[in-house]
Amino acid sequence: MSEIPLPQGAKRVVPWWLLRHETMLAAILLIALIVLGVLNNRFLTLDNLLNQGRLTTEVGLIALPMTFIIITGGIDLSVGSIVGLCAILLGYSWKNFDFPLPLAICFSLLVGAAAGLLNGFVVTRVKVPPLIMTIATLALYRGLAEGISQARSVRGYPEWFYFIGQENLFGVPAQLWLLLIAIVISGIVLDRTTFGRTLYAIGNNETAARFSGLPVNRVKLTIYTLSGLMAGLSACVLVSRVTTTRSDMGTGYELDVIATVVLGGTSIFGGVGTIWGTVVGLAMIQLLKNGLALTGVKGDATIVVIGAVLILSTLVASSLQRRRDGV
Amino acid sequence: MKLGLAAALLSATLLAGTASAADKRWDGADDLPVNPLACSAGEANAAPAAKPYEGGQPTNAPDKADKPISLVDVPKLIGIGYFNATSKGMQDAGKALGNVTVKTDGPTEAKIDEQIKFIDNYITSGVDGILFAANDPVAIAPVLKKALSKGIHVVGYDANSTPDAREWFVNQAEFNGIAKAMIDSMAKEAGEDKSFAIVTSTFTTPNQARWIAEMSAYAQKCHPKLKWLETVEAQEDNNLSFNQATTLINKYGDRLAGLFGMTSVATPASAEAVTKAKLCGKVAVVGLATPNAMKPYVDADCVKSVVLWNPVDLGYAATYVMRAVVDGKLKPGATSVDAGKLGKLNVVNGSEVLLGAPFIFTKQNVKDFDF
Amino acid sequence: MTAVTLANAEADPGRRLKALASQEALLAIAVIGLAIAVGLYNPRFLAMRNLSDVLLGNAYIGVAAIGMSMVIISGNIDISVGALIGVLATISGTLAVNGAPIVLAWLAALVAGILVMALQGAIIAYLRIPAIVVTLGMLSILKGGLISVTGGKWITDLPDSFHLADIELFGVLPVPVFLMVLATILAALWMRYSASGRAIYAVGGNPEAARLCGISQPRTIVMVFALHGFFAGAAALLYATQLRVIQSTVPPNLELTIITAAVVGGVSILGGVGTVIGSTLAAILIAEIASALVFIDVSPYWIRAVQGVLILVTVIADILRRRRMARA
Repeated sequence: MSEIPLPQGAKRVVPWWLLRHETMLAAILLIALIVLGVLNNRFLTLDNLLNQGRLTTEVGLIALPMTFIIITGGIDLSVGSIVGLCAILLGYSWKNFDFPLPLAICFSLLVGAAAGLLNGFVVTRVKVPPLIMTIATLALYRGLAEGISQARSVRGYPEWFYFIGQENLFGVPAQLWLLLIAIVISGIVLDRTTFGRTLYAIGNNETAARFSGLPVNRVKLTIYTLSGLMAGLSACVLVSRVTTTRSDMGTGYELDVIATVVLGGTSIFGGVGTIWGTVVGLAMIQLLKNGLALTGVKGDATIVVIGAVLILSTLVASSLQRRRDGV
Repeated sequence: MKLGLAAALLSATLLAGTASAADKRWDGADDLPVNPLACSAGEANAAPAAKPYEGGQPTNAPDKADKPISLVDVPKLIGIGYFNATSKGMQDAGKALGNVTVKTDGPTEAKIDEQIKFIDNYITSGVDGILFAANDPVAIAPVLKKALSKGIHVVGYDANSTPDAREWFVNQAEFNGIAKAMIDSMAKEAGEDKSFAIVTSTFTTPNQARWIAEMSAYAQKCHPKLKWLETVEAQEDNNLSFNQATTLINKYGDRLAGLFGMTSVATPASAEAVTKAKLCGKVAVVGLATPNAMKPYVDADCVKSVVLWNPVDLGYAATYVMRAVVDGKLKPGATSVDAGKLGKLNVVNGSEVLLGAPFIFTKQNVKDFDF
Repeated sequence: MTAVTLANAEADPGRRLKALASQEALLAIAVIGLAIAVGLYNPRFLAMRNLSDVLLGNAYIGVAAIGMSMVIISGNIDISVGALIGVLATISGTLAVNGAPIVLAWLAALVAGILVMALQGAIIAYLRIPAIVVTLGMLSILKGGLISVTGGKWITDLPDSFHLADIELFGVLPVPVFLMVLATILAALWMRYSASGRAIYAVGGNPEAARLCGISQPRTIVMVFALHGFFAGAAALLYATQLRVIQSTVPPNLELTIITAAVVGGVSILGGVGTVIGSTLAAILIAEIASALVFIDVSPYWIRAVQGVLILVTVIADILRRRRMARA
């Protein structure tokens, strides 16, 4: 079989300059860390950093499939509501259906996947734009959480359940292990598998991807289902961490997740983005909030800073991109 | 086919909706046990039986008796008048005590997840004490216990956590005391055999849910002819509350004789709805609210009385309690605590410090307050 | 071949017109149909009083949805509008309480709205940062800034003349409804028949073709956002003047409601499709549904779920209808 020699740059799907964006961001993050660390000596301690990892897991887990979705040019605004729904069903099925807790956890994950599947189904078959579909399901899933729970909380879980949310495994918070494993798997999938390449192809030109014979619909269905599943996982971690269920859990997560992904260099127009970038974005937002708080900046000023950072860093990244492209 | 599926889903939801409307519980009430007070007047603050202390204790708290301490106050959310008032009370107490600094910081929305992160940050930065008003009593417990384990003192106010997660809780007024004040006011202003509706924030806000449950029990006990029509949710949005109250007025027409506002946003909005509908005096508005927001309506005689307590005093008391705890003057088992200008406050329910009876703002005294 | 293409092109606008009109017609039918259906269950729903209250109480959403529709038609989105309305309401109220002439207080809201939105539009158009990023960042800045500055305190003691929403023109027509209807009609006419109005559709539908036609995309986007800011300012005035007191915070979830109104109204997120008439009708329908659900005794625990189902059904029906039209 003769090998067609590929042009030099074509080996990686990710344009080489994109690495510059994440590197730039990582550099900014490093500078911010040093500055904040100097201003406050409790910031750069291992204890604090691990704790921040614990607190950022819920958003982080969802940011991974969201990266996939945004790379394809889509979006999923219903993730926060899916977290609420799964949290409620975790408690509800354990208490009202008398499921043993492990079964209740699986049930909750299943519901999350089903919710994501519905999103994916309507987006691919009925062809409702993802933004619109997920705005509708944002309301629907939250409403289901409120209706099913009847505003009741479920608490009093067995001790072992709190391990995921509150305890350490080999010195690292238990849920952080989950996040790290998920990051590694997502990174490999995005970078080294056909599935990952298909995502970029869909994001760059969906019609061309379809005509190339790529299973566009199947891939899209998968990523939306995955998004729902991760939201369910995030819900289980959250319930384990706070020991109770509430129908308003996860409110606002969608914006936090999108900010994380976009900050990390994934373009909202699709075709561009890496898991590494999302990780840097995640670390940046969480550590900035934490560092600013430790330095004495209050909550309201902190969100102003985060908003400004979001706009400025995207500005820097896109100017860099344009200079590279010679536009 | 898809539309058919959707229609089926819709009808199922609607059916589910109307089916559960047959629930006996007033919408918005929680399931916890209720304890209605006696019906005759003046028993609102009878001293309940003493309970053993069941609060949590810090481990290895540094001894800072009579030394300066710095506290952080993490309310449910910042940016609303009520917690501005409690914050002011804390600043006043800090000044009066001379060796306490309090910083108020919290989430911009009433989300428990955000509140936990704020408290966690302050644990890391090493404050001497945390004052809190919880968005959820159980969810906040793990992070508060973590604070206790790091030797940080924890005192709650306004919205409690589970008892073992804090040392003391400053209660503005007993739930059943507030319920009694509200229901008695409504019975007096609207009439014993009339119907009313409730406008609340959300069904998952713990304090509101407790109050509605207690109101239900007290009404059944002492004003059995008073009829509950329905409860609506209005988040914390002015205009939404106004629209909901207006909808209730239009739906029930003459049947509606009173509206309860369960939050400081719902009550002025309900009063406005009644004013716009030109039903002042015909539909009674009774509720919890801050005096500033109610001034126009109280002055116009649309609202006769506003039930609250003094949140400035609440913040003040919370700071004094914290100081007493750090100085070792308030130990488990104590029956009262000295709270500066507020005098001696009683300890009830084991580990709660009671501020006093609910305060009723009327046309006469509403202008004396600025919060 | 040329004749066929020409013929198709001519049939096209007609067909598109029919498709567009359909969504508006469907919405109008839904508004009336729902009113009748609920009226059968509880006749009080059809009382003049109630219908006008529904319109009055939600007119501000309809007005804001006009601007939002324009933004979405141009191919962008804005999630900062809720926070902006909170800020504008506070600015306006604060000026009024401090003795500024009422007209100045009203104008300040409009001007500030235009400026802030135009700034966002400029960043989006000239610095080429995606709208969702800019508006997401601006949302945080506005919200944090507002709370920092005001602490969320109540603005009371507003002068009576401030209350724009209370004014009834000629003693009959309430200003909010009048503004909503007038703004919708003017905006719809402008977008259909003026060059800059049609430019919005062009930029949203096919930016490259628009550029080749000589339409400046950056300038159009800044214009769209400036207009959106104007409508946001008007909405803020209606919002602020409804009650005797103003709470200087950000109304929760307002941007979501406004976007939903635009989307249910038939505005396509892909850009280039939709009308402001649709979004106003949708805003009315959404308000009507909220009231109807209380009237027909749906359990309050399920209200959000029912609303979600209705939005989903509407959105799916709209897309299905469009696809059927496109295939025909």
